[in-house]
Amino acid sequence: MKHFKGFAYPYVAWSFVLIALPLLLIVLYSVTQGDNSLLTIHFTFDNFKKIGDPVYLNVFIKSFEIGLIVTGICLILAYPMAYIITLFDDVVQGILILIVTIPMWINTLLRTYAWISLLSDNGLISQFLGMLGIDAPTMMYTNFAVIIGLVCDLLPFMVIPIHTSLTKMDYSLVEAAKDLGANNLQTFRMIILKLSIPGIINGVTLVFLCSISSFVVPVLLGGRQYMLIGNLIENQFISIGDWNFGSAISVLLAIAILLIMSLMRRMDSEEKGAEE
Amino acid sequence: MRSKKIKIGAKLYILVCFIFFYLPIAVTMFFSFNSSKSLTNFTGFSLHWYSKLLSDQSILAAVYVSISIAVFATIISTILGTITAIGLSKSRRLLKEWLLNVNNVPIMNPDIVTAISLMILFSSAGLQRGYITMLLAHVAFCTPFVITSVYPKVRSMDQNLPNAAMDLGATPYQALTKVVVPLLKPGIFAGMLLAFTMSLDDFIVSYFVTGNGVSNISILVYNMTKRINPTINALSTLLILAVAIVLIGMNIWPVIKEKRKNKLTASGNAKPRRNSRKREKVTFWSVTAIITLVAVVCAAQFSTIANKQTLRVFNSGEYVDMSLISDFEKENNCKVVYETYDSNESMYTKLQSGSTYDILVPSDYMIERLIKEKYLKPVDWSLITRKDAIISDLVSSNEYDPGCKYSVPYYWGNVGIVYNKNIVSREDLEEGWEILKNTKYKGQIYMYDSERDSFMIALKSLGYSMNTTSKAEIREAYNWLIEQSETMDPVYVGDDVMDNMISGNKAMAVVYSGDAAYIIDENDDMEYFVPDEGTNEWCDAMVVTKYCKNMELACKFMDYFLDDEVSKVNTEYIGYDSAVKSTFEYFRDVAYAGNSGCAPDQTNPRNEVFHNQSQKTKEYMSNLWTKVKSN
Amino acid sequence: MKNKPIIELRDISKNFGDQQVLRGINLDIYENEFLTLLGPSGCGKTTILRIIAGFEEPSNGQVLFNGENIAKLPPYKREVNTVFQKYALFPFLNVRDNVAFGLKLKGLDDDIISQRVDKMLSMVGLKGYEKRDVTRLSGGQQQRVAIARALINEPKVLLLDEPLGALDAKLRKGMQIELKKIQKEVGITFVFVTHDQEEALSMSDTIVVINDGIIQQVGSPMDIYNEPEKRFVAEFIGESNIIEGNMIRDCLVKFDDIEWECVDKGFKPNEEIEVVLRPEDMDVVDVDQAKLTGTIVSKVFMGVHYEYFVETSYRKYKVHTTESYEVGKEIGLTIDPYDIQVMHIS
Repeated sequence: MKHFKGFAYPYVAWSFVLIALPLLLIVLYSVTQGDNSLLTIHFTFDNFKKIGDPVYLNVFIKSFEIGLIVTGICLILAYPMAYIITLFDDVVQGILILIVTIPMWINTLLRTYAWISLLSDNGLISQFLGMLGIDAPTMMYTNFAVIIGLVCDLLPFMVIPIHTSLTKMDYSLVEAAKDLGANNLQTFRMIILKLSIPGIINGVTLVFLCSISSFVVPVLLGGRQYMLIGNLIENQFISIGDWNFGSAISVLLAIAILLIMSLMRRMDSEEKGAEE
Repeated sequence: MRSKKIKIGAKLYILVCFIFFYLPIAVTMFFSFNSSKSLTNFTGFSLHWYSKLLSDQSILAAVYVSISIAVFATIISTILGTITAIGLSKSRRLLKEWLLNVNNVPIMNPDIVTAISLMILFSSAGLQRGYITMLLAHVAFCTPFVITSVYPKVRSMDQNLPNAAMDLGATPYQALTKVVVPLLKPGIFAGMLLAFTMSLDDFIVSYFVTGNGVSNISILVYNMTKRINPTINALSTLLILAVAIVLIGMNIWPVIKEKRKNKLTASGNAKPRRNSRKREKVTFWSVTAIITLVAVVCAAQFSTIANKQTLRVFNSGEYVDMSLISDFEKENNCKVVYETYDSNESMYTKLQSGSTYDILVPSDYMIERLIKEKYLKPVDWSLITRKDAIISDLVSSNEYDPGCKYSVPYYWGNVGIVYNKNIVSREDLEEGWEILKNTKYKGQIYMYDSERDSFMIALKSLGYSMNTTSKAEIREAYNWLIEQSETMDPVYVGDDVMDNMISGNKAMAVVYSGDAAYIIDENDDMEYFVPDEGTNEWCDAMVVTKYCKNMELACKFMDYFLDDEVSKVNTEYIGYDSAVKSTFEYFRDVAYAGNSGCAPDQTNPRNEVFHNQSQKTKEYMSNLWTKVKSN
Repeated sequence: MKNKPIIELRDISKNFGDQQVLRGINLDIYENEFLTLLGPSGCGKTTILRIIAGFEEPSNGQVLFNGENIAKLPPYKREVNTVFQKYALFPFLNVRDNVAFGLKLKGLDDDIISQRVDKMLSMVGLKGYEKRDVTRLSGGQQQRVAIARALINEPKVLLLDEPLGALDAKLRKGMQIELKKIQKEVGITFVFVTHDQEEALSMSDTIVVINDGIIQQVGSPMDIYNEPEKRFVAEFIGESNIIEGNMIRDCLVKFDDIEWECVDKGFKPNEEIEVVLRPEDMDVVDVDQAKLTGTIVSKVFMGVHYEYFVETSYRKYKVHTTESYEVGKEIGLTIDPYDIQVMHIS
């Protein structure tokens, strides 16, 4: 195997140019001011100070709120789903997981569009409710629409890791628990849930990450006033053209996420440590 | 966990979840067979959108780009990721840790940050953006996923297996292909699948790093918001079917084989293993063959483009009838690289970040800015034969580009309110722009997500010029907008306003006159109205950038759209007021006769044309607008 | 049997980082011999094997193969093959394809390959298993596949890295005999690595005892057992009582204040030495017939014999005998001169 040692070197160069360097550039932009070329460098922390404005802080808070809500709903929906799927025999299980994955292959934008025609004021859902004699509330351009869109989009990212960790579980542990006198609920709480925690952490991480920085779904389902961090960044870069401020927000977002990730990881390893 | 009775409730739960998953997909598929444009009313079965899809060059090109990028990115990132994972397990600790950490960055980082960092990189490096940059970006975000799925397999592999191969006489390369790769196959396959999915579904990164007419499906769809185009539904139906068939085939086939094999073994015929291996080989080679084929076809396609005269056009989404573009290509034996943007500002950002085009179609104030910043070349009017077809006022009383030195007018109009006759009373309209603050219509208003037009409304309502540079006046306008936002609960929308108004979702919306004409054409309850306090009179025009090397072809292109026939077809599609006099009159008097959105009154002296703002004013206004929206 | 060395290790040393695992190894391996590298885990024996196979490069020194230095030759160019510790069978290939792997790489005709695979499989007793999935074979069967896979390439030397380590005790005995048989049959050199002294003693022509990266002793099983030259060898192989003493003169040694006749010569007068006494070489006699006496303090039945600990005025001796005595009994101990092995202090 020592013959393959050099195999990692091309990627070292690659990762420097296409991963590390772009990030450094963003950081550089975030602490400078001037027009959007690097030739006129002028160091400043004003970009970060600007984020302190309540308007922008609120965008951050709202994004994290939506992220938490979406992650929570996904977890609540996905856990039973993943668990029930493991109860089927292998062949059916494979097919069910396939059914969960297929939507991931279909363009997010296309799926989000479909939600527009479902949720809009005279859309299919309100037509349907109208037929039942129920006056449908406004759904489009609300938190509700954004959350539904995100949940539908991200649910597979929660189901699959949880399902994986559940199928990897050593079933003799469940038998052992029952042998030692645990009832179904206790077995679930003390053994199954505990052993599936790595999967949960994976899923939560993925869903939270994606929802907090989502950009398309809020625009399409939440309307233009629906501002999450992703939209704010896009706005700064595309519409307003203030790359410096946009970079500062990006840097802050990246730092926040890295902090959360390392926290999650610590939780994960503590969990493992406790088991050992 | 097996062999347990599954409760009916559990099965039901799964079913409900799947319905939730597939509801949007089912809707998409269902409405792809609709005979009308509506996405909420099924008017009858038709395959109309499918035939339209097959003749729509830009959609086909986008499908092409999406799939070929996904295939290439998957191949490259799978190879790069796999060899890196193999090398990594043997690398020194420090290198390993650095790589694994760096590798996590694109996975952990929000897509939008990755997208922007790559955009900045490419524009700083002065890289011509397009297919290659998009491919690089896709490989950059796909490879980490391959590494993370292959690396654990490398680590759990018995390190003696490659040694054993070499011991038996395999060269390191043979050991790699004959032993290591087969051993890692499950991991490689998982990584490959993940990479393909990520690449195919990507929007944000592609959106920021592409250029020069290269769009994938996501970008196309995003820029299509102006008019929801059911061809997209037809496209997604086809994609869904293809994906479903491929995936189900891949998963069901082994099961069927297994069953058949079991039957065979049961009947005493036991030689199954070999068969399955043969099948694996067949699958492997057929997949490889397909990939190579796609690659070759793509390469061929792009080389033909390279050989022809090309014109790179950057236009607003849905702002031309694409069939005209292909006609122009045929007529002049050239290739038009056509790309769309969703606002003047995003066009400007693209331009600024290093994308080059020949022809742009910006609005007045943006033209002023581009002239000032020396992005444009004067139009060679001697090459434009149909100069006299243009409405003369658009040339003579033109403030952004006096005498049209740099621009050829395309479409024009103003900003007003489209309202539902059955809900909004005539007297209330007397209030002018203030009607947008009439609490009677609370929750019934769409505002247009355009910072300058929104401030224009507030400024006009307050009696100021919409080109004011006075901070105090802008501040006052801001307070007007905040007050409106607080009392009226308006929804700020983009081009989706059109579909919403056609569906009659709210009573009033701020729109461009041309969009109003289209809405009214589709929904008879709607009427267009321009307040007396004055409004924004706008004009979009075609301009030639300094990057253009073929002025003759560019002028031919612009001249082409001044042709009466062409411009009629185009106007039929777009619905705005044409700059071509004969076409404008035809629509005013014949096709759109009586449509209040067509041929708006441009005589009000209080109307103005937008001028370019100073960076300071612009930033000031932008920030305030962000605050209004997120209020 | 010992005609000329096929492999010669010359002053081999190997460092992993700042850890030195081999220090100046010199060893000749002869044609057709069954040579065992014996030592505790971590002693460096596997590293020697890997250096011969070509998976590791020595930090220093030469590896001569038929007189030619191959220290830098990659493994696939060497005429040696290896049977790996956990067999390292390719899980994605069946039995036949595993065995045929090396021949396929050489690009031989399918017919010839089939012929030789069949021959090899019948030699290791796996005829009829061609299409089996290797992951579904038992440990012993996997072992045979690994041997067949290596031998089919007709190597000059077969390297075996603890090949019996994963088998249960019974199977192991069987395999030991079989391995020896195969070696006779193919008539090539086997280099066998193990930490199991019994295995080494029963199979080898030559045993190389290694500890801490240094060769302790090279010799036939008999030599190694009966005449350990170093305390480590004596302790590692078989059981022993090791006692410090003095060499009075040739053939006379003194320990526990008693002078004993022995057969060892060539020591300096009164040199401090160590004496190795195997427990089974100490004979129990009546108290008045022995120079050395003591009391039995423990007794354990070991199957063939009893193991006693005998407390004397100087130390406790471990004694093996088939006779049964009661704990607490006073006994005498005698040792024949040729059962006393005298070693230099190492």
